[in-house]
Amino acid sequence: MDMLAQALIQGFLIGGTYGLVALGLGLIYSVSNIVSFAHGDFMSLAMYLSVSLFAAFAMDPYVSVFITFPVLALVGWGLYYFILRPVIGSNSLMIIQLTLGLTFLLQNGLLMVYGGQMLRVPSMVESKLFLMGDTVMRWPLLIAFIASLALSALLYLMLTRTDFGRQIRAVNQNPKAAALMGVNVTQVRTLVFALGIALLAVAGSLLLPGATLQPGMGLRYTVITLLILVLGGMSNFIGILLGGYIIGLSEAVGTTFLSGVSGMILPYALFIVIMLFRPAGLLGSR
Amino acid sequence: MKPEFFGILRSPVLWLALVFTAVLPLWLPSYYLHMATLALVYVGFAYAWNIVGGLTGQVSLAHSLFVGIGAMLASALLLRLGINMWVGMLIAALVSGMAGAVIAWVDYRFRLGHLSFALITLAFAEVGELVVLGWDFLGGASGLYLPKDQGNLQSFQFGGSSGYFWFLMLLAVLALGVNLAILNSPLGFFLRAIRGNEGAAQAVGVNVLRNKMLAMAISAVLCSLIGTAYARYLTFADPYLLASPNLTIEIVLLATIGGVSSAFGPLVGAGLLIPIGEMLRGHFGSMLPGLHYFIYGLLLVVVIIALPQGLAPAFSRLYRRFSN
Repeated sequence: MDMLAQALIQGFLIGGTYGLVALGLGLIYSVSNIVSFAHGDFMSLAMYLSVSLFAAFAMDPYVSVFITFPVLALVGWGLYYFILRPVIGSNSLMIIQLTLGLTFLLQNGLLMVYGGQMLRVPSMVESKLFLMGDTVMRWPLLIAFIASLALSALLYLMLTRTDFGRQIRAVNQNPKAAALMGVNVTQVRTLVFALGIALLAVAGSLLLPGATLQPGMGLRYTVITLLILVLGGMSNFIGILLGGYIIGLSEAVGTTFLSGVSGMILPYALFIVIMLFRPAGLLGSR
Repeated sequence: MKPEFFGILRSPVLWLALVFTAVLPLWLPSYYLHMATLALVYVGFAYAWNIVGGLTGQVSLAHSLFVGIGAMLASALLLRLGINMWVGMLIAALVSGMAGAVIAWVDYRFRLGHLSFALITLAFAEVGELVVLGWDFLGGASGLYLPKDQGNLQSFQFGGSSGYFWFLMLLAVLALGVNLAILNSPLGFFLRAIRGNEGAAQAVGVNVLRNKMLAMAISAVLCSLIGTAYARYLTFADPYLLASPNLTIEIVLLATIGGVSSAFGPLVGAGLLIPIGEMLRGHFGSMLPGLHYFIYGLLLVVVIIALPQGLAPAFSRLYRRFSN
């Protein structure tokens, strides 16, 4: 029972961060219909940047996020403006293939720079534990959960209360009508893309303490993110957060109670079952 | 079959190219022969993938599953149950074909768009890799070492490198031939109709489900056959190479760089890039381990932006300009 509680809490906490990552991709999808197969690799990029900053200045991941966030925003901006924008609106297959190309580019770029061995970045809070009833929790997980929740709430406020948020929703509903109402669609899409990529810097630094890094890990994060996105109905804010918790929980329960690799299959199995009964996502789209 | 298909069969260029390729093992040094063999493997994969990815216009990311079944299952049947690898190759191909048909059925049943299809096939591929890694019967994380090649053809051993070259060439030519045959047969027209507009194709009486399942199953069987032969050639069925979704991405990149809408795109893409990649790996492998993949990725981005149709149509345009 203790083990179950432990697994549930752990999965719930990590699910919040997964949800945040998927929200970034969901925002991008909702304004420009792009699903990037390189999303997880950009998180790898952010994590490796934190590794470098730690190696050079002994900077804690929680501090270096203030550097990686603007860097990734810039990367996202450049990527959209120079590479994706010319292709957008043409064939959707092409964008899939293009982002698959980016996957190889990033994965192997990281491999060339950092080598293939596993890396870790210690953080000042990494080994600190706290007790909640009978369950032992690691502080980084709780920090990640709270930060992700706060950021998700901020995103929600931005979407519902600010002009920029209203522009995003307008472009989501009807890009042509939005353009006629004076919304600069290209600018909105570029900014949202930059924001979605920059959120990965935050998520990366939150997931970094205690994690081991390896250049090829991005693809698995991409798959997890995509599962959550589809579960959430692609552009349903609450649905995506819920999807994050479900994937996080099933992953934690699977790895705790099923031996080795078969536990890692649980999220996928659950995903397939849910999709069979609710093909439009947990709460439907929008 | 349209008469064009038999026209291609009569073309002297095709036969010259085949004979030229077939005599390569007689004079090529072993290092370059290995490169050429790898190129054939990937040409085969790229053509097999092209049946779904090019002709039907669906980016399938599940193909590492079929390669993995061909490589790991046939090897496991030999090592664990003593089943002859020729038989194992056929069993694996059958399993792959059925898996492909099931995936195509799921796609049809749930009306997946392009995007969801790519996502779900990627999820299938991830699960496939995890199953191989977690199941000792299929070799687990350490893979399966095949017995030393004694040159015994009856037990799927082709002797030296030339033997493997010829067998893999046979499979690559088979994949190419199947592509050309489909392109010029009713199935090819149905698939192109589906690629153009699935709903419209169905409205005019194309059996979408049957044709999609057929395309996916053929593609899966070809991948599986080549997978078995590739594992035997390497004498090591490595799950991190043969069952990894990265393999599919590599195949997709090669086919796309060559051009999926052209009959010779996969040949150009894989035939050109695999030897270049191998050379880069030979020279820089120890210093810059991922360089050749990095360059594939870069090339893909450049090709999609500058030559969206791929290299093969660009080459044929160049050729026509110079021959005029």
